[in-house]
Amino acid sequence: MSTQGPRPDAAGQPAPSADDALEWRRVHPVTPLVRGWAVVGAAVVILGQQSLEGGPRGGLIALLTGEYWWTVLAALAAVALVGWGYSVLAWRMTTYAIDEETVHLRRGILFRQQRHARLDRLQSVDIRQPLVARFFGLCELTLETAGGTDSGVAIGFLKGSDADALRAELLARAAGLKVGSAAPATAAPDGEPAPDAAAAVPEPAPVAVEAPQVPVLTVPVGRLIASVLRSGATIMLVIWALAVVVVMIATGEFAVISASLPAVLGAGGYVFNRLTGEFDFRVAISPDGVRLRHGMLETRSQTIPPGRVQAVRLVQSVLWRGRDWWRVQVNVAGYGGDSEEKNSLLLPVGTRDEALTVLSLVLPDLGIEEPRRVLDAGLDGDSRTPSVFVTAPRRTRILDPVAWRRNGFAVTGRALLLRRGRLVKILDVVPHERTQSLGINQGPWQRRLGVASFQVHSTEGPVHPQAPHLDADDAARLMAEQARRARTARATAGPERWMERQGE
Amino acid sequence: MTSPFEPHDVTWNRVSPRLVTAMLVPAAIWLGVPAVVGVVLSLTLSPWFWMLAGLPAALLLWSVLLIPRQVRAIGYAERDDDLLIRKGVLFRSLVVVPYGRMQYVDVEAGPLDRRLGLAKVQLHTASVGTDAVIPGLPPDEAARLRDRLASRGEARLAGL
Repeated sequence: MSTQGPRPDAAGQPAPSADDALEWRRVHPVTPLVRGWAVVGAAVVILGQQSLEGGPRGGLIALLTGEYWWTVLAALAAVALVGWGYSVLAWRMTTYAIDEETVHLRRGILFRQQRHARLDRLQSVDIRQPLVARFFGLCELTLETAGGTDSGVAIGFLKGSDADALRAELLARAAGLKVGSAAPATAAPDGEPAPDAAAAVPEPAPVAVEAPQVPVLTVPVGRLIASVLRSGATIMLVIWALAVVVVMIATGEFAVISASLPAVLGAGGYVFNRLTGEFDFRVAISPDGVRLRHGMLETRSQTIPPGRVQAVRLVQSVLWRGRDWWRVQVNVAGYGGDSEEKNSLLLPVGTRDEALTVLSLVLPDLGIEEPRRVLDAGLDGDSRTPSVFVTAPRRTRILDPVAWRRNGFAVTGRALLLRRGRLVKILDVVPHERTQSLGINQGPWQRRLGVASFQVHSTEGPVHPQAPHLDADDAARLMAEQARRARTARATAGPERWMERQGE
Repeated sequence: MTSPFEPHDVTWNRVSPRLVTAMLVPAAIWLGVPAVVGVVLSLTLSPWFWMLAGLPAALLLWSVLLIPRQVRAIGYAERDDDLLIRKGVLFRSLVVVPYGRMQYVDVEAGPLDRRLGLAKVQLHTASVGTDAVIPGLPPDEAARLRDRLASRGEARLAGL
C-alpha cells in the first residue's frame, strides 16, 4: 500500500527550532488497511439497509443472485479503493513524537492538525484493539488529557509490543521518571511490514520498562451474564416479548412482530454491547495506577494513573440486591463523551468485597478509622442504622417517600461520601482535592420544609455526586466546610507527576 | 433557621438593574408578538383566537412581575479563595467556585446588552455542571472581575 517510499519528513516541514530535536515516528504501515475496512464495512451496512428497505423482493440476496451482481461488487470495490486510498494518504500524513514533557501528533490531509499534549496533564492511557486490527496484531493507543470531549491524542495503529512500549514510556515520563531519550532503534520490526517501512517505523527504544502489575480480580463470565440478565433492559425485553405474544394470540396478526422489531433490536443491542464490552473484565494494580482490561470483539486495556480519578460511584439496582452485587463507575477527565459508557467503568459487576477493593485501589486512603463500617453504612444503611452519616430529616418523606431515609452524607479526612436511592442504591465518593465547585439548590417546597439539595460538581462522566433534601442548616454548614476542606486538601495534594512523591 | 443562601461572612454584590430591561425586551418580543397577533385575529376572524392571545399575554404578565425580582435575587461575592454566585426566587441556587479550579473566564455581551451597557461573565471549571454565570454587569465591572478572577486563579492554580 505504500508504493511511494516514505520519506520521514514528508509529513510536514518541521518548524525550524525545537522540533528538530524531535524524532518523528510513523504509525504502522498496515494502518490504512485496518482503517479502510471500516469504510467498506459501513458501505456494506448501508447497502444492506437500503436493499432490505427496498421491499421483500428487492433484497440484497435478490440483487446478488440476479443479473447485476457484478455492479454491486464493483461499487463495493470502488468504495474500498477510495477508502483505502484516503487511508494511505492519512497514514502518510500522520506522525508522532515524544519528548520529556509533551506528546506531539501531526495528522490530517487537507486540514493539517498538530496536537501537543502535556504529559503532566495526562489523565489516562488506553490501548484499544478493534476486531479487524486484532487480525494484524495492531492496537491504537489513546492518551487522554483533560481538555474536554475529543481532546485525547489517538496514536494508531501500532504493533502490540510497540503500543505497550509506548505506553510504558508515556507513563514513565508522565510519572516524572527520567527516562533515557528514546534512541531510534535500527532493527527492523519483525514480520509483516514492507522492508522500506522499517525506517519509518522505528521501535521505541526499550528504555522505559513496563511497570509490574499485580492482578487484583477478574469478573467471571457466568456472573457477567447473570448480571446482565438481571438488568432493566432484559426485564423490559421479556415483558415486551410476552406482550407481543399475547397480542399476537389475541388478534391473530403476525405483523405485530415486525412492528416491535426496532424496540427489540434496541434492547438486544444494549444487552449485546454490555456483554461484549464488559466481557473478561480484569482489574490489576501497578505503580502506574489501575489497569483495566476488558472486551470480547474490541479489547480495551486502560491505565488510570494515581490521583486521576475525580469521583467514584458504587451502584446497585434492586435486581442485584439478592446477590449483593455492585457496579463501580468513575469520572476521569477526558473519558466523557461518546465512549463514556465503555471507559468509565471500574467494575461491571462484583460482590461488595470486590467493589470495595476496587474503590480502595483508586482511593487508597479515605482518612477514617473503620472504613468498612462507614462504607457499609453508605452502601445500604439508612437513617435507622447508627453511623457517621448525616441524613435528611424525617419531614422530607413527602418529597422523597421511598428513599428519604437513605439521603445523606458523611465527611472523612480525605473524601466526601454521598449516599442516596433505595431501589437503585448509590454511594458517591469524591476526594476533597478533586472537588471542582459546589452548589446548593432549593425549590419552593424545599424552602417550606427548610431543606436544600447539595451538589458537588465533578468532571464529565457518569458520576454526579449529590445529596438531596438535606436540612438547610446541614447543607449550609456542609457547603462552607467542604469549600474549606477542598482548599486545604488541594494544597497538600500529591504532585501531578506521581513518582516525584518519593523522588524529591 | 438560617438560610443556606445567606452565609454570614458574605456581603453580596448586586447586578445592574438595567438587566431587567435586557431580559424584558426579548420576553416582550417572543410573547408580545403572538399576543398581539392573537388579539388582531380574534377581533377580525373569530373570538376563539382569544385563547391564542391569552396564553402569551399571561406569560408576559408573569415575566413582567417576576423578572425584576429575579434580577434583584442575583448576587455574587468574592471571598478570599472562592467566588459565590446565587440566583433564583422560587428555585434558588448558590454556587461556590474556588479560584484555583477555574479553567477560563468568558465575558459576553449581545447587541442589546451592549446598548444597555451590560456584559455577562461566565466561569468555567473542568466540570460541565458548574453553572456560574453572572449576567448584567457593567462592562467596567465585568472587565475588573475578569482580570481579578484570572489573577487570583493563577495564584491558586492547581491541576485537576
